[in-house]
Amino acid sequence: MNRIRWFCAATFLVLCLGVVALPARGQEFPVATKTLKNGMKVLVQTDHSIPNVALYIFYKIGSRNEGPGTTGISHFFEHMMFNGAKKYGPGELDKVMEANGGANNAYTTRDVTVYQDWFPRSALPLIYDIEADRIQNLSFDPAKIKSEREVVASERRLRTDNDNGGLLDEQLWATSYIAHPYQWPVVGWMSDIEHWTMEQLKHHFEMGYAPNNATMVVAGDVSAEEIFALCEKYIEPIPSHPSPPPVTTVEPEQLGERRLVVRKAAQLPLVLVGYHIPQSNNPDYYALNVLRTVLFQGESSRMYQRLVDKDQIALDVSSSVEPAFDPNIVEVVAQPKQGIDPEKCEKAMYEELERAKNAVISDTELEKAKNIRLAEFYREMRTINGRANTIGTYEVFFGDYRKLFDAAKNYSAVTKEDVQRVAKTYFGANNRTVATLIPENSEGKGKP
Amino acid sequence: MSHARLRLNVLAAAMATLFLISSVAAQTLHMAPHEKYVLKNGLTVLLLEKHGVPMINVFAIVKTGAAADPAGQSGLASVTAGLLRKGTKARTAQQFAADLDYIGGEFDAEAGADFSSVSAEFLSKDLERGFAVFSDALLHPTFPQEEVDKLLAQSVDAVRGAKDDPQQVLGLYYDGYLYGTHPYGRPAGGDEASLPRIKRDTIVKFYETNYAPGNTLLAVAGEFNGPEMRKKLEEIFGAWPARAVAPAAIAAAPAVQGKRLLLVNKDDATQTYFAMGNVGIARNDPDRVAIRVVNTIFGGRFTSELNEALRVESGYTYGASSFFDARKAPGPFGIHSFTKNETTGPAIDLALQVLQKFRKDGVTDEQLKSAKSYIKGQFPPNIETSKQLAQIIAAYEFYGLGDDEINQLEARVDAVTPEMAKAVIQKHFPAENLVFVLIGKASAISGVAEKYAEKRDAKEIAAPGFWPPEK
Repeated sequence: MNRIRWFCAATFLVLCLGVVALPARGQEFPVATKTLKNGMKVLVQTDHSIPNVALYIFYKIGSRNEGPGTTGISHFFEHMMFNGAKKYGPGELDKVMEANGGANNAYTTRDVTVYQDWFPRSALPLIYDIEADRIQNLSFDPAKIKSEREVVASERRLRTDNDNGGLLDEQLWATSYIAHPYQWPVVGWMSDIEHWTMEQLKHHFEMGYAPNNATMVVAGDVSAEEIFALCEKYIEPIPSHPSPPPVTTVEPEQLGERRLVVRKAAQLPLVLVGYHIPQSNNPDYYALNVLRTVLFQGESSRMYQRLVDKDQIALDVSSSVEPAFDPNIVEVVAQPKQGIDPEKCEKAMYEELERAKNAVISDTELEKAKNIRLAEFYREMRTINGRANTIGTYEVFFGDYRKLFDAAKNYSAVTKEDVQRVAKTYFGANNRTVATLIPENSEGKGKP
Repeated sequence: MSHARLRLNVLAAAMATLFLISSVAAQTLHMAPHEKYVLKNGLTVLLLEKHGVPMINVFAIVKTGAAADPAGQSGLASVTAGLLRKGTKARTAQQFAADLDYIGGEFDAEAGADFSSVSAEFLSKDLERGFAVFSDALLHPTFPQEEVDKLLAQSVDAVRGAKDDPQQVLGLYYDGYLYGTHPYGRPAGGDEASLPRIKRDTIVKFYETNYAPGNTLLAVAGEFNGPEMRKKLEEIFGAWPARAVAPAAIAAAPAVQGKRLLLVNKDDATQTYFAMGNVGIARNDPDRVAIRVVNTIFGGRFTSELNEALRVESGYTYGASSFFDARKAPGPFGIHSFTKNETTGPAIDLALQVLQKFRKDGVTDEQLKSAKSYIKGQFPPNIETSKQLAQIIAAYEFYGLGDDEINQLEARVDAVTPEMAKAVIQKHFPAENLVFVLIGKASAISGVAEKYAEKRDAKEIAAPGFWPPEK
C-alpha cells in the first residue's frame, strides 16, 4: 500500500543522485505554460500513451519557513490538507478521489510542500474542485488536529527514532547548520509535534498557501486548453495574497570540522559526512554532479571500488543532494561492516577525495558520468509521474523548466578541470561535519 | 460530530455520486502486442516492441528460486544470482562494473521465493554493449572464490543491518513463523547462520543445475527492430547448451490452525511493529480478482477499513494495510501496522475488531463500486514502461497466466458481485486461525501480547536467523 504522506529526510538513503538529468539533442518535449491572474503558474505536458494524469502542485513553503517551537509544522500542514475543507469534509477528499479512480500523496522538504494526484482523465474536473476547495477553505477541526498529531508522531518514530539512518541524518543537519533554518528536521522535533497551536497552524496556512506561491504541473492524457480552462474556472478566482517573508539568515562559513556521535543499540555502525555546497541554481551544480557520479555511482565508482571491493570495510557508500533554495549540503553515507571502526571508512573516503583534488579524473570517467546522466534523464522522463515531478523541480528550483533542456549543454561544458576545482573548493576538512553512530550492546546500555 | 458537519458530508457525498457518473465511461485496458517463441535449446523468448523512449529492458526468469534452497543453506539462490556479475569468462567483477556503468546501464540479479531473475536496462544505441554484459553474466559466470567470500560476508552484515530497522525484517520473521520449515518460511537472502555454510562448490552446482535455457524465460521490451532483435538473440543465446532441468515443485503449505504468537525483542524500540494473518492464495487462484477487489476495501488503499480505523479515526499509526503475496504455491496473507509501545494492545485489538466486523458485515455496494473504480483507474501506470512490461510478460509466462490478466481485468473486476465478495471474505480472511508476529520492546509489551495466543514464542532480534531457531 502507498506509504502515504511522507517527508524527505529519509531519502538520503536512496542511491539516486538527485534531479540531475541530461537530455539528448532533439529530446525536448513541448510544455505549455500559463500564469493565472492570481499568480499561479501552470505547466502542461501532453502525453496520450496511457489514459491517466499526474498533477503536482508545488507550494514554496517548507521547514525553512519555520522557527523554534514550530518545527515540523509545514509537514504537519501537509497532512492537514487532506483532513477536510468546506465542500469536501473530513475524510471526504480521499473517499471521493478513490471512488473516482484517483489516488494522492504529498511530500514536504526543507523548501517545498508538494501535492500529488494520480487519476484517470475522467476525474479531471473533480480533482480541480478538490484542489480549489482545500487551497481556499481548509477547516481546522480540533479533533482532527489531535489525531493527526499522533499520526505524525508515529511517522517520526518510523523514519527517525527507530531508524538509525534517519536518526543520524537529523543530527547531521542539526550540527552542519548553526544559524540557517535547514538545521531542524522536516518532520519536526517530537516536543514541537506535541505542542503546535491552532493559531500557529492558521498563521502557517495564510502564509504559505497563496496561489501566487504555487506552481502546478500536469502531465498525461490532457490538452493544454482543457487544463487552462479548468484553471480559469476553479483556481483563478482564488485571490492572491502575500507570499511567506524571505528567509534572510545566511549560514556563516564553517571554519573547522564538526563531529558528533550517537550511541545506541545497533548491530552496525554508520557514518554520515556533510559538506557545505551552494544552492541548486549555482553554476557549480553540474560539475558537482559529475564529481559525485565518478566518486559514488555504480560499482565502478571510486568509493565503491575502494571501500566495498578493495578494502572490504563497508557494505555500501553513496551520496545525495536534495534540491535547495539556499546553500545546501552534500551528504555522504558509508555503511561500515560489523566491527569496523567507522574512522577507517572516513580515512578511506578522505583519501579518495584527496585523489580527486590532486589530479584530474580520466577521460573515460568524464564520459561515463555524462552517459549515466543521459540514461537517468530517460529513466525520469519515461513516466507521466516522473515528467510532472522533474518539470516542476526545474521550474521551482532552477527558475525555469527549460533549464531541464539546457542540462545537456551544461553537462557537456563540464571539464576535468572543473571537476577537480569543485573537489578542492567544497570537499575540505574545515567544511565538513561528521556524524557517527556507535553501536552499544544491551549490556552497555545507559553508559556514555 | 456537529449537525453542520453532517450536512456537509451529505453534500460531499452527493458530489461524489455526480462525479462517479462521469467516470463510468471507462477506457479499456490492452496488453501491448508481443510475441513468444522457443529457441532450439529450449529458451523461451518473449519480445515486446515499444517505441517512444530509446531504451531496452531485458528480464530473464530462471525458474528456480529461493524455495529450492536446501534446508540450512538459505540464501543459496540469492548468492548465486548476486555472483553472476562478480567475475565472468570475459570480465573480472571490476571490468564488468566498468563496462556496465560506462553506458549508464543497470543490471540486477536476485532470487525471490519462486524464481531467480536477471535483468538489465540500457539505451537502444548501446544494444551491442548492453547485451554483451548481460549475456556474459547470465551464461558465463566463473564464481571466483575471492568474490564468493566477499559477497557472503557482505550478505551476513546486510542481515544484521536490516535487523536494526524492524520495518525491514518484520516480513522475514512473519514468513518464518507462518511457514516454519516449509520453503516459503526461509529468508530468500539467507541469514547469519545459513550464509556462512554456503560453499563455492554448492553455488557452482546450483548454477549448473538450474541456469539452463530450458529452465529460462527471456523477455525483451523496448525500442528496437523486431527482426534484428530476433537475429541478435539467436546469435547470443542460441549457443547456450541445452540441459535437462527437473522443474522445481513447491508443495502447498496448509493453513495454520489455532493461534500463535512470536515476540521478537528489540529493547530500544519505541514502537511495536506487528503482522498477523495466515497462508493466503496462489498466483493463479480463481478467486484472485475478487480478492483484489475485497482486499482493496479491507486494507489495500488509504481509505481502507484498516487504515481508516487505525490511522484516520484513532491516530494509532502512520499506516495500516493488508496484503496477499500470491505465489506459485499459496503465499502469505497478512495485516501489518505499527504503533507506539503504549498503544500496542489497543491497536492490535482494533485491527482484530476491523477483521471481525469485515467478516460479519462484508462490503457495501458503495464500497464495491468505489474499489472497482479505484483498481481500474490506478492500473494503467503499471504498464507504462518497457521495464514494467518486460517483467510482466515474463512473470505471466512463469505463472501460466495469459494476456487476459490485463485485457480482461476491467471486465473481471466489474463482474465481482456482493455475493462473490461475501464468499471470498469468509474463505480468505481468517478469524480464528491466526499467526501473530510482534517486534518491539518485550519488557513493555509482553503482558499485552499474552492475550492473543495460548502458544507463544520469543526471540531476541540480535540472535542469528529468523524462525524457526537454529537447532
